[in-house]
Amino acid sequence: MWRTATVREVIAESRSARTLALDVPGWPGHRAGQHLDLRLTAEDGYQAQRSYSVASAPELERLEITVEVVEDGEVSPYLAAEVRPGDQFEVRGPIGGHFTWSADEGGPVLLVAGGSGLVPLMAMLRHRAARASDAAMNVLISARSPEEALYRAELAELEGAAGLEVIWTWTRSAPQDWTGARGRVDGPLLEAAGFGDPSAVRCFACGPTPFVEHVLDLLVAGGYATAQIHAERFGPTGT
Amino acid sequence: MNDLHLDGNGVAWLLDQITGAEATTTLRTCQACGDRRALGEHRAYRGAGVVLRCPSCQKVAVCIGIQGDHLTVRWHGTLRVPLPPQDAAPA
Repeated sequence: MWRTATVREVIAESRSARTLALDVPGWPGHRAGQHLDLRLTAEDGYQAQRSYSVASAPELERLEITVEVVEDGEVSPYLAAEVRPGDQFEVRGPIGGHFTWSADEGGPVLLVAGGSGLVPLMAMLRHRAARASDAAMNVLISARSPEEALYRAELAELEGAAGLEVIWTWTRSAPQDWTGARGRVDGPLLEAAGFGDPSAVRCFACGPTPFVEHVLDLLVAGGYATAQIHAERFGPTGT
Repeated sequence: MNDLHLDGNGVAWLLDQITGAEATTTLRTCQACGDRRALGEHRAYRGAGVVLRCPSCQKVAVCIGIQGDHLTVRWHGTLRVPLPPQDAAPA
C-alpha cells in the first residue's frame, strides 16, 4: 500500500548525498536494515520507482532516507538535489526481513559498508544507540574520500559508546594526517575489524555488487559460514 | 555473472506478493545443488522481469514476469514457508 510522504527536512550529508526526513502518516514502523519503495509521479502521469534503505532508527518518530546521486540516474538527481521541504511523493514498506538486526539479538556483529551501503547499517548503529545496547558491534567502512563519506561526525560521536568500534578505509584520498587504513577492504583489514573467533559473529555487508561480492569472498575465506552473513547488494539498475 | 545483479532483498516486495508474507527470510532448497538458502540471499537479475538464481550454484530458482495487473511466476526447488503460530497444525 502506497502512503504519501511529505519532506520535512533536507540535510546535506556529503558532496553527492542528502538525507530526506519524511513525515509518513500511517507508517507501520520498520526494523533496522529494512528498505522502502519510493514512487515519483510526474504531472503527465509518468511514474518512476526506486528502493531506498531506511537510514533512521526505528525509535525515531520521523523516517529518514539518504539518497546519493547516481550518475545519469532518473530519480536520484531529483531526490538528492532538487527536493524541498513540503514536497510530496509516495512510499511503500517497510520491506525485507533478511537484512535486519535488532538490539534484542545482541552481538557480536560485524558491519561492512561500501559507499552508500552504509545507510541501512547506520539504521542498525542508530538503533543500537537508541536502545543503549552494549552489543559488541564493529563497523568497517570503505569510502572514496572524506568529501564523499556519510555520517562521519555522527559516527565519531557514537564511537564513544562501549562495545562499538568504527574503522574507516579510504580508497581515493584520506583525510589529512590520516594514520589508519587506506585502500580497498582486504583480508587483514577484515580480520582486524573482526572479533578474533568468527564463529559467533553475525555479519552484514552492504554496498555496490562488486564490493559485496569481494567482501563475501573474504569473509568466507576468513572462516565465516554463509549462514552468518547477510548481504545487500545494489547495482545501477532501477525498478 | 555481470555487475548488474542485485539480490533477493532488492525485489522483496515482489516476492512478498507471491508468498503472501515476508519472503526474504523464507528458505528455498535448490533443485540442482540442494543447498538451502534464504530468498534474500538469492541473486536477482532484472530485465523484462526478474530472475532469481541460487547463490550457491547459480541455477535458475524463480522467474517472475510483471504484466501490469498480475505476475506470472515459475518456481524451481522447494520453499519452506512458516505458518503463523495460530495456523500451525500440531506436529
